[in-house]
Amino acid sequence: MFERYLILGVRSIILALAVIWSAFPIFMVVSSSFKTPIDIFAFPPKFLAFTPTLENYRMLFRAWPQFVEGLWNSLIVTVGATVLTAVVSLAAGYAYSRFKSRWLTLSAFSMIFLRMLPPVVVTIPLFPVVNQFRLNDTHALLILLYAAFFVSLSTWILKTFIDQIPRELEEAAEVEGATLFQRLTRIILPLSVHGMVAACVFVVVFAWNEYMFALIFTSSEAKTAPLVLAEITGTLEGVQWGVLFAAASVQLAPILVFVLIVQKYIVIGLTAGAVKG
Amino acid sequence: MFEANRWVAALMVSPVLILLFAIIGIPSVFVIWLSLTETTFGTDPVFVGLDNYRQIFGDRIFWRATLNTFIVVNVVVYAELILALIIAVALNFRFIGKGLVFSILIAPYAVSEVSAVVMWKFAFEPGIGVFNVLLKQAFGIDFNWTRNPMQGLGLISLVSIWIHLPFTLIILYSAIATVPEDLKAAARVEGANEWQVFRHVTLRVIAPAILIALMFRYIFAMRLFSEAWLLTEGGPARMTEVLGIYLYRTAFRYFDFGPAAATGIAMQILSLLVASYYLYRLYKGMRNNV
Repeated sequence: MFERYLILGVRSIILALAVIWSAFPIFMVVSSSFKTPIDIFAFPPKFLAFTPTLENYRMLFRAWPQFVEGLWNSLIVTVGATVLTAVVSLAAGYAYSRFKSRWLTLSAFSMIFLRMLPPVVVTIPLFPVVNQFRLNDTHALLILLYAAFFVSLSTWILKTFIDQIPRELEEAAEVEGATLFQRLTRIILPLSVHGMVAACVFVVVFAWNEYMFALIFTSSEAKTAPLVLAEITGTLEGVQWGVLFAAASVQLAPILVFVLIVQKYIVIGLTAGAVKG
Repeated sequence: MFEANRWVAALMVSPVLILLFAIIGIPSVFVIWLSLTETTFGTDPVFVGLDNYRQIFGDRIFWRATLNTFIVVNVVVYAELILALIIAVALNFRFIGKGLVFSILIAPYAVSEVSAVVMWKFAFEPGIGVFNVLLKQAFGIDFNWTRNPMQGLGLISLVSIWIHLPFTLIILYSAIATVPEDLKAAARVEGANEWQVFRHVTLRVIAPAILIALMFRYIFAMRLFSEAWLLTEGGPARMTEVLGIYLYRTAFRYFDFGPAAATGIAMQILSLLVASYYLYRLYKGMRNNV
């Protein structure tokens, strides 16, 4: 009996520490975004006992109109990359699930192989090409880059989901005269909605938060929110911390809510896409 | 109906393959050629043989960046593995509010590198950050990571662990949750204590998941760029550069694409070495499935 309570106690302490470790940095930044400059660096820190103010947010939107544009660009790029990834991965996932051939196996293997290569390396040869095609600083370029690095995982996740849809359903539909496209949109798509979500969450989070490609390939027109946020960090002078926290909170809030809503699919997707195979 | 459709299959996988080869495959091979040439903004590449490799291998900062990458990657990957294992084991029982705890534990996955850097910079800001003040008052440690390279690398590792722990945790927790209860019960009947049950039952069942998590984290940790760049930009005096920063600086600050490409080749080789066993197993598995 004693041992059981001991184990329970140790578990609780570990989990409490883990929760503090995960939540504390987020909590500090979000709560500090509502603090006055004096309260922000008060020691010991004021966790809840402070008078909230919206001044930091007011300053942010007055002094940094680029940040709003950045959020808008991030939204366009995220939606674009997600839609592109979803459409092409569904088609490929279906093909890998339903058809078998030596050639397909080889291409599936090459997909996973390419996923292992470091992204920063491709920026060197892509840089002159991108300039030549005037793709520099465009949404389209970021959409293509982000999708390229996630189609492999998404295809794999969708394949494992489509594997579980009985072929008999499609065979019956074909007897009734359904085309491949109709089978895809009327049977496969509705039955693999969960797989679709699991296949998309990763590219959504990546595209919304990505920094390196955006740093190299955007300068003004397509500059995303993380990049503007980094710029605000670079111009820190004394009282600017509050503005920075407000910006970080605005950038973080939507994606954090999204991740918490779809967390079940993150678990499903990781186990289907990474662990299997 | 699922046999005679070779062209349909090719058509359906082609968008993914075109995207992959245009953005990753062909450029990754083209880098080999670039690494053998001298080229900068607007000039045509001139073949120079192995000069770029000689240049980076003779560069003290390249070796420093390699060493830093090695240190940070290993610290990050194993710290994550141990932390994730402990948390996953602690989490593996029924209790009220488990869903909420799990949500909080994976929340850092949603945080961008930039925001994470803002958070930790605030906590460790020299002189005023809450942890800096605490370290000073409690232990007399002057944690000035902007000046001390080892402390700089320490903070980079810390931020990196914080962001990526959810990935390892999810994989290990999913694996631990599948360990059959009767297997553990059987071991207890045989007289095993909790530690022995963990070592000989749980750990053995989840070993493949640990390997997968390790391999993926090694490959992704080697790509380290954003946290490091945003925290120190490789400073002071390029002492905290990692390979990603070395490549970026050479290519996009000095516009010296040849040596940057050679660095890229080094990174590719390292990544593929780590992935080789996994890729080999995968290839064999796939071939047997046809």
